[in-house]
Amino acid sequence: MSRMEQAIDELEGTAVIARNVNFYYGIVQALFGVSLEIKPKQITAFIGPSGCGKSTLLRCFNRMNEVLLGTRLEGDILVHGTDVYREGTRLETLRKRVGMVFQKSNPFPMTIYDNIAFGPRMRGIKDKSTLGEVVERSLKQADLWHEVKDRLNNHAQGLSGGQQQRLCIARTLANEPEIILMDEPASALDPISTSKIEETIQELRNLYTIVIVTHNLQQAARCSDHTAFFYMGRLVEMGATSRIFQNPAQKRTEDYISGKFG
Amino acid sequence: MGEKKDYVRGFWAEGTPFIWFSGIAAVVLVLMVVGLVSLILANGMSQFWPASVAKVSLKNGSYLLGSVSDREKTSERDRILLRIANRDVNGLDFKWVESSAITKVEYPESVSVLERDEYGPMYGFINSLAEGESSVASSSPEFQNVLREKLRTVREKTASAKKLQATIDSEKKEVTAVEVRLRRLDEGEKANDPETLLEKAGLEKRRGVLLENLGTKLADEEKELERLKAEVEAPRLDVTLSDGSVAKVKLRKVLAVFNPNAMWFGAKFVHYMGNMASFITDWPRESNTEGGVYPAIFGTVMMVFIMVLICTPLGVLAALYMHEYARQGFLLSAIRLAVNNLAGVPSIVYGIFGLGFFVYMLGGGIDRLFFADKLPEPTYGTGGILWASLTLALLTVPVVVVSTMEGLSAVPRANRDGALALGSSKFQMIWNVVLPNAAPGILTGVILAVSRAAGEVAPLMITGVVKLVSAVPVDAVWPYVHMDRKFMHLGFHIYDVGFQSPNVEAAKPMVYTTAALLLLIVVALNALAILLRNKLRKKYMGSAL
Ligand SMILES: Nc1ncnc2c1ncn2[C@@H]1O[C@H](COP(=O)(O)OP(=O)(O)OP(=O)(O)O)[C@@H](O)[C@H]1O
Ligand SMILES: [Mg+2]
Repeated sequence: MSRMEQAIDELEGTAVIARNVNFYYGIVQALFGVSLEIKPKQITAFIGPSGCGKSTLLRCFNRMNEVLLGTRLEGDILVHGTDVYREGTRLETLRKRVGMVFQKSNPFPMTIYDNIAFGPRMRGIKDKSTLGEVVERSLKQADLWHEVKDRLNNHAQGLSGGQQQRLCIARTLANEPEIILMDEPASALDPISTSKIEETIQELRNLYTIVIVTHNLQQAARCSDHTAFFYMGRLVEMGATSRIFQNPAQKRTEDYISGKFG
Repeated sequence: MGEKKDYVRGFWAEGTPFIWFSGIAAVVLVLMVVGLVSLILANGMSQFWPASVAKVSLKNGSYLLGSVSDREKTSERDRILLRIANRDVNGLDFKWVESSAITKVEYPESVSVLERDEYGPMYGFINSLAEGESSVASSSPEFQNVLREKLRTVREKTASAKKLQATIDSEKKEVTAVEVRLRRLDEGEKANDPETLLEKAGLEKRRGVLLENLGTKLADEEKELERLKAEVEAPRLDVTLSDGSVAKVKLRKVLAVFNPNAMWFGAKFVHYMGNMASFITDWPRESNTEGGVYPAIFGTVMMVFIMVLICTPLGVLAALYMHEYARQGFLLSAIRLAVNNLAGVPSIVYGIFGLGFFVYMLGGGIDRLFFADKLPEPTYGTGGILWASLTLALLTVPVVVVSTMEGLSAVPRANRDGALALGSSKFQMIWNVVLPNAAPGILTGVILAVSRAAGEVAPLMITGVVKLVSAVPVDAVWPYVHMDRKFMHLGFHIYDVGFQSPNVEAAKPMVYTTAALLLLIVVALNALAILLRNKLRKKYMGSAL
């Protein structure tokens, strides 16, 4: 294997590579030279005080920031080796590969079945049995199947908050993404629902690359393989979760983890 | 002292007076609506009730027949308003009678009311049913049956005569066309050119052949028609009127005969329902003051439907573009403001625009392109239901745009982001998530548009509504839907009957009835849209909410 090929392999093997990313909301700069790598099939947690740019970086990965007018990005973001900000990138394809679960559950005003089948249908899958399989598989992966299998044709809004959030996870899974971005997926939920979501995430470990933003440090410590700590739009440090929590290299990280500010 | 102050402060702070005032405002509003509606309904619905006919004996020895329709009682005078009908004889339908001049008021059972196709009803005592020499006296026991039977046969024969006439007309159609062409040639400038003469000769020959082919068949049919007409004309009723004269009323002109004073409540009610039904299904008579309003109902409803079919997609697409695609900025705000203000432009302005743009420009253009052979007789270049509907669509489209935009901005950001994050394109997001979500808002706009359109009269008067039509815009003649036809409209009907008719007093109940009907139709159309909206709401919002 030539060095070139080796380099390409390495690029493609890394789920996400951010290089020197600056991000601007109009004239407000939200990210300052962020560079990091996300390892495939592992869980990475983003932590940091409010307003430090965790969500912003996350939304750069699937270019969801672009729904807002006047945003601008400098630097590169590579998803499995492809530069997603290159001209001619199809947003539809990118967002199918990089799924996203929002802080507040946002099921569509449709039936449970239609919610899950939404993504596949958008990609032109019409076959009933295929859709049925996708729905069942996704709901099982999201740990929701047993709770809703008898009422797939009921309205999604009839589910509890926690169930709705797992429905949103299932909806994302139905797209068979490579990477799943989760922006505080459990912050609006009660402790029991939260632990349910955490269980679900654990079951997805090793199957998907997951990036999760959280304010709950225990959650980050429990769930993730890697942790990145942000402060004021900058990446302060990133490493194996156990290392970050037990032996942080930076003073700021230590202060944050020990609860001195946040 | 302090306690009282606290009380007063609480009184104002809790907003008690405010609640009172808002409550009063609501009550006033409800009273106004209820009052208006019940006025219309009471006046409108009573016109179908078969009123008793009084025999009013006067001091001078004569008597009057009439139904009491009003009474004026003041300190100076006391008089009653009698509807004496018999417009052809009396000239007027109504007459004031001083109470002091009345000696006796009775309700004899033998008074008959004849509903006729002309001159309104006739009040009188029927002597006999006559046909040529033979006659049946009204006192004979079988009179009622004979009359009913006779009315039926006359009606049937009238219908078959009409049918026969239509057959003959269509058979003669080609001949007629040839004759029309011949007349044109005769009247034309080149009447004596050799070419014209040649064509004339050819046409005359053709006419000869056609007539010969029709030959005896046509003659037989025409003879049969004459016979039918004679038979229809013959039977008549001899009726003694209040002035002592005997009127001979052709049975052909009689729609129904009944004796209101002899009817019990149930019979009157049946009669009432029948009247109501025929009001809805019949064509107008007597320059709209009698008969039904069927063509006006048809015209109103059809126009509203066409209007909805045009203004909904137009409004929704425009709103979608402005809300979802257009770059937000000064220009868009200006356009938005303009659209909002369009709703305030007087409707007659739309009418004038419709006349100029749709009728003259578009219609005239269509005529020149496709109906050139009929010119100068216009086909689309004159008012018609299509142009009226388009004009109204223009008038109501701002309403749809505004409420659609409101519906669109009410769609949660989270749902849009969710769809995009799942890899749907912007169009897919709009089509699958935004539009269904906004559908109730859109329908609210449609409801408002329907209410506005159904009540609008001014712009219609110059774009296609007329006081009387001979056919509704949909019939069995190809191409079945005639968008170029003029049509009748309930709103205009009210104006026409109430203010343009020769006999305003007699037409007054008709005005109320038509108003009640228009109200009913607007309510029905709205109910339809609301039903649809609720269904959509349930579908998209779920039963849990
Ligand atoms: N739509 C926006 N327009 C302008 N500035 C924004 C916008 N969204 C975020 N910002 C700014 O960008 C910075 C980063 O915001 P971001 O939402 O990424 O923070 P966060 O780390 O996710 O915070 P939180 O933990 O509260 O969610 C903040 O200073 C914020 O004020
Ligand atoms: Mg955030």
